[in-house]
Amino acid sequence: MAELSQKEQLALHEFSVRYRAGLAKQHPTTEQNLDAVRDAVREQYEQERAEESSRTPEPPSAAPEREPDAPEA
Amino acid sequence: MDDLIKNVRTYRFAAGLAERIRLAEQIFRRIEPDLRIFVFSSVTNDAAKDALQEVLKAIATSLNKFQGDTEKQFWAFCYRIARNKISDHYRQQYAERFQPVDPAELWKMMEVSAQDAPISAAVRHDLDYAIKLLTAAKPDCSDLLWRHYVVGLDYAELAEERNQTYDAIRMQIGRCLDQAKSLVS
Repeated sequence: MAELSQKEQLALHEFSVRYRAGLAKQHPTTEQNLDAVRDAVREQYEQERAEESSRTPEPPSAAPEREPDAPEA
Repeated sequence: MDDLIKNVRTYRFAAGLAERIRLAEQIFRRIEPDLRIFVFSSVTNDAAKDALQEVLKAIATSLNKFQGDTEKQFWAFCYRIARNKISDHYRQQYAERFQPVDPAELWKMMEVSAQDAPISAAVRHDLDYAIKLLTAAKPDCSDLLWRHYVVGLDYAELAEERNQTYDAIRMQIGRCLDQAKSLVS
């Protein structure tokens, strides 16, 4: 089975580095992509908060004390 | 510990929104270049810009579900999400990507890179060999060599992607190299 010589490995590495650099130059990281990430984080955060608050049981309400029955005549 | 995995772990426990956004920005500035080449190598160029944004959003949404401890596990997690997103929404463009890569197109990209780092005669010779090696074999072999040597996916990641064993992928890459080298020399 073929093995790559060191020279061949270096050639492929050089190609990969340059291809990435070219791609980054043609399609740089856009602020739009980072905005999309920020929005996704925000939505996720709000969803978690909403889920948490729906899971938290309501504190028991202070029910008015029942008035004692009137003594039988 | 690498900053990437440190940030990912901190993100998991970050309670405040502002801190999460700050960490997410650092994480995505770091992973975006690798995901960019992964996406642009998986779907056609027309669809790739939108696909990349969808992939980034999907990872951001799942970031706090990551349970691993190493950078390798985190990359596997990111690539898994990217693959699922692409196969769910960009099946057609994914299929179209499996076309023979045109060496002239690859040379154009090399010339773009040369704007910042000029190409010497010796490097040009090496690049010529690399391009021939990557494009000489049959499309399925070319694709496998591309994803291993250019995108940078290791045997384990390719095995997961193709639903094959680690050894099967290792052997397949060896055979594809045999084929490509015999056609180049």
